[in-house]
Amino acid sequence: MNPRLFAKLYEQNFDRVYAFVARRVGHRGEAEDLTAEVFHHALANLGRFEWRGTPFAAWLLQIARNALADRWQRAARERGELSSETGEPGIHAEADRRAMLAQLVGRLPADQQRVIRERFVEQKSIREIARDLSRTEGAVKQLQFRALESLRAHLRDLHE
Amino acid sequence: MSDEARIERLAQALEAILADPGAPRPSADPELTELLRIAHDLRGLPRPAFKAQLGADLLRRATMTTTTGKATGETIESVTAYLAVRPAVELIEFVKQAFGAQELRRTSGSGGGVHAEVRIGDSTVMIGGGGAWGGTPTPTGLHLYVPDADLTYGRALGAGAESLYAPVDQPYGDREAGVRDLAGNHWYIATHRSGGHVPMGLGTVTPFLHPRGAPRLIDFLKQAFAAEEVETHRGPEGAIAHAKIRLGSSIIEMGEAHGEWRPMPTMFYLYVDDVDAWYRRALAAGAVSMESPALQPYGERRAAVRDAFDNQWYLAEPASSGSGTR
Repeated sequence: MNPRLFAKLYEQNFDRVYAFVARRVGHRGEAEDLTAEVFHHALANLGRFEWRGTPFAAWLLQIARNALADRWQRAARERGELSSETGEPGIHAEADRRAMLAQLVGRLPADQQRVIRERFVEQKSIREIARDLSRTEGAVKQLQFRALESLRAHLRDLHE
Repeated sequence: MSDEARIERLAQALEAILADPGAPRPSADPELTELLRIAHDLRGLPRPAFKAQLGADLLRRATMTTTTGKATGETIESVTAYLAVRPAVELIEFVKQAFGAQELRRTSGSGGGVHAEVRIGDSTVMIGGGGAWGGTPTPTGLHLYVPDADLTYGRALGAGAESLYAPVDQPYGDREAGVRDLAGNHWYIATHRSGGHVPMGLGTVTPFLHPRGAPRLIDFLKQAFAAEEVETHRGPEGAIAHAKIRLGSSIIEMGEAHGEWRPMPTMFYLYVDDVDAWYRRALAAGAVSMESPALQPYGERRAAVRDAFDNQWYLAEPASSGSGTR
């Protein structure tokens, strides 16, 4: 496959796959490992995907489901238990919401994006972020507030 | 409730949920509760560095395994500083008078604005703006190597520049002076003392940045543009005093902002072999899109991104082929 096309597919599907996996595993490290596994598997097996012609996102999520099932079975075997994938209700909606949120963050102004990522994803303190951005703590709190307000407004728009 | 009070109340509530995600969330105010729920979900978003790294790994693998055509998304052909300023026409005259620049091309827009490319020694600098142009000017810092720094400094002052500092022998072996031109660009005019007047590996003109947080900018350049750290010198307190970073075959210099050397976000024009691939890679590294890849009327495919330091990176390739050369 043309690398440029694969890059585009990665960009379009990364948030959905990550959110799907992250919702089902406890740790960030595990979510990252599984997401990487899904995309590497997809890249290695692109020929099969292209033959079948299923939507790419659905195919990626099927790879993710299989990878999760493998992992659970392995963990259960290690603990000497029977494994089963729990079909927790609402889990899809929750993953969709997070994937959407990731996309919306990408549309915020640059300074708000940075505050959101440093504050919530990297969990830095207001003081650290203020130092990084050479802004006052008050200014960072204001950016944090504006960014969350803006995300709420966008999420509402989507649901209406 | 005033905005200030709401901002502060939100900040305190967030502090509590970040310190202890299991802590009960206030429910008296539905608006606040909604913001806290969003904040809670944001904690589960992926790390941008992870997304960028995985994207780069996959792209490398996809490029290696592809069986058709040559590898793309691999080459940066050139990196050129773009000085977008209001007195663009006057700046072109200034660089001709002060530095003996040659005008390679100039095009004028209907509003009287210009785009020009000038050659100074072996380097190209782009200058644009003027007329009705209403963008944000991006004067920048430029390291200029000349045979006689004292002489060029004198010419620059004669052509209307202001002195930043008179010629001085620097501890690192250069004779160096600084001027600010009429558009606000800083020119660090230097003569290298050993070998030729230009140090090995540098061109006549090299963009010089003073970011706040130089290591983070270097990391970004590595992730976004496959940059390499050629050399880095740190000051006594560990801050980067001087670094040379290679992008493709070009070098960018930088030193941590300090004292009067404050950040001057810069515009760069990069010719690359695959605009879309480099654009995507820059976004994955945390840059923000300014322009999605699109065909320009003058025959280039172009995209633009802004990094967290407000530098602007224009990525371009000739529209007719997959490999840009300039």
